Amino acid sequence: MDPAMGMGLVALMGAAATVAGCSEDLESDIGSQSNPNSQVQLAAQVGYPHRIFNKAISGEPPSNAMYCAVGAGVAMVLMSESVMSASPLIAIAIGAFVAALLNGVFATTSYMGRSASQTRFNQYVYMDVLRNQILSLMGHAYITTFCIVLLSYVMWNQHLINHPFPFPVIALIWGLCVGAIGSSTGDVHYGAEREFQDFKFGAGLNAADSGNITRYAEAGIRSSLDNAWFCSKFGGPATGIAFGMVVFLDNWRSTAFAEVLNGWGAVLVGLAIVILLVIYNRQIETYARKKYGPYPEYAGDIEA
Amino acid sequence: MTEISVGLMLADHWISIIGIIIGGICIAVGVHFVPVGGAPAAMAQATGIGTGTVQLAAGSGLTGLLAAGYMYMVLSADGAYVGTSQIALICATGAVGAMIMISVTMLVGNWVYIYGVGVPPASAKRDYDPITGDSQAPYVAAGTVGQGLPTVCFVSGTIGGLLGGLGGSLVYCMLMWVNGDPAISSIFAIGVFLVNAVLPSYNIQGTIEGFHDPKFKRVPKAILACFIASLLCGIIAVTIPGIAALGGV
Repeated sequence: MDPAMGMGLVALMGAAATVAGCSEDLESDIGSQSNPNSQVQLAAQVGYPHRIFNKAISGEPPSNAMYCAVGAGVAMVLMSESVMSASPLIAIAIGAFVAALLNGVFATTSYMGRSASQTRFNQYVYMDVLRNQILSLMGHAYITTFCIVLLSYVMWNQHLINHPFPFPVIALIWGLCVGAIGSSTGDVHYGAEREFQDFKFGAGLNAADSGNITRYAEAGIRSSLDNAWFCSKFGGPATGIAFGMVVFLDNWRSTAFAEVLNGWGAVLVGLAIVILLVIYNRQIETYARKKYGPYPEYAGDIEA
Repeated sequence: MTEISVGLMLADHWISIIGIIIGGICIAVGVHFVPVGGAPAAMAQATGIGTGTVQLAAGSGLTGLLAAGYMYMVLSADGAYVGTSQIALICATGAVGAMIMISVTMLVGNWVYIYGVGVPPASAKRDYDPITGDSQAPYVAAGTVGQGLPTVCFVSGTIGGLLGGLGGSLVYCMLMWVNGDPAISSIFAIGVFLVNAVLPSYNIQGTIEGFHDPKFKRVPKAILACFIASLLCGIIAVTIPGIAALGGV
């Protein structure tokens, strides 16, 4: 393939991945999926009933892997000549729509089941919460699935990158990857900051305060859409940058340096990227230690 | 297909089974290196990445598998033989792909801890960081067991990514030797990967900070368990796709 074409495709995939990462994180923030859900689940049990959406369908990686594999499977069937030879863009759009419908089904049953099981703690099933947020959840799931199935299609298409794995398997792996990244990065912004905004910034969350989530918004009672508004300022874009970086850096080194040193060039460039990331991480760690200093409550003997 | 020919198939592909076992053990050991804090880390109540062991190991290892699969196709183009030196390159490509994924995830995770939550990365398992020598205990928030990813956890995570990607790629290469079909091999490689990522998570019990964590000493148990599991997986993964490649039962 022409190198310029190859780099263009890598850039397109990186851009699609950035959008997918951002929308994936916001979807999990609105639905309160993954690890921060433990606090939402616990809140009612320790005396704080709330109006936050509650859908821990599963961990984010398996659920996103499922949506993306379903989206890619549907798109592949529609594109095949024996079915309707649909154009890839339409096929991917329909595939993503089917995945969004699945998301809606899982989110509805999950919210109703989880909230209904907490009746004894005065946690009600709020129909307006369900109605207002389900479409926003499905919309974000649609964007995520569309972008990931699109980048998987670019990898799979024999005229483009021509990856040997089947289309749905590539989508499944990228879905798993985006879920793992969203759950590790953006969700921390939701779980550690937004859910506990009543506590002082940077104070850390004492385990004794678990479940005491912030239930009142800037105006009125807090809903999950308020959480998405807040997380879209940092957690969502950070997740997007992370997933975009993974897709871009991994594909860039294997596309641009595949011919160098019989393939070992791509490996060496990859190692150099990892070493640079380690050094950068050390820099921001030192910055944080200097900026924030030791905790004043610390009463041990070790000097800061 | 008689039992004798299944036995012959196993005898023919014993090297692949050994490769799958080595790959499985690499994955199992790699999982112990990945610093995962589980649900508490998502609330900045524990050191490590705020997600589950299997999810992160699988996310990074399988990203490496994508790179390895592509490299295998490039090296075997026009029917070229894929020997040991090519497999070394494929495994290195997969390992580096997984390292990039996990390093980026840990770095952006630290952005969120530092800039979004306002806490300095600190480990509660050691008083001083074994690599940088920085004091840790004064930076651990009250009532928590650390937060974020200090340098030792970050380095441990990259080693975990390396071993996970290496193991996954090795399993894929061994399966490609048996059946030559990327579709079957990739799906079985994902299966073998998940088996060997789930088993060690019982050892870890939710959270581990990396090679400096006392739980890391439990690695030998995981190696034994994953040896047995990978042996079974290897036998199944070699015979079932192998039979399909020969034209079915």
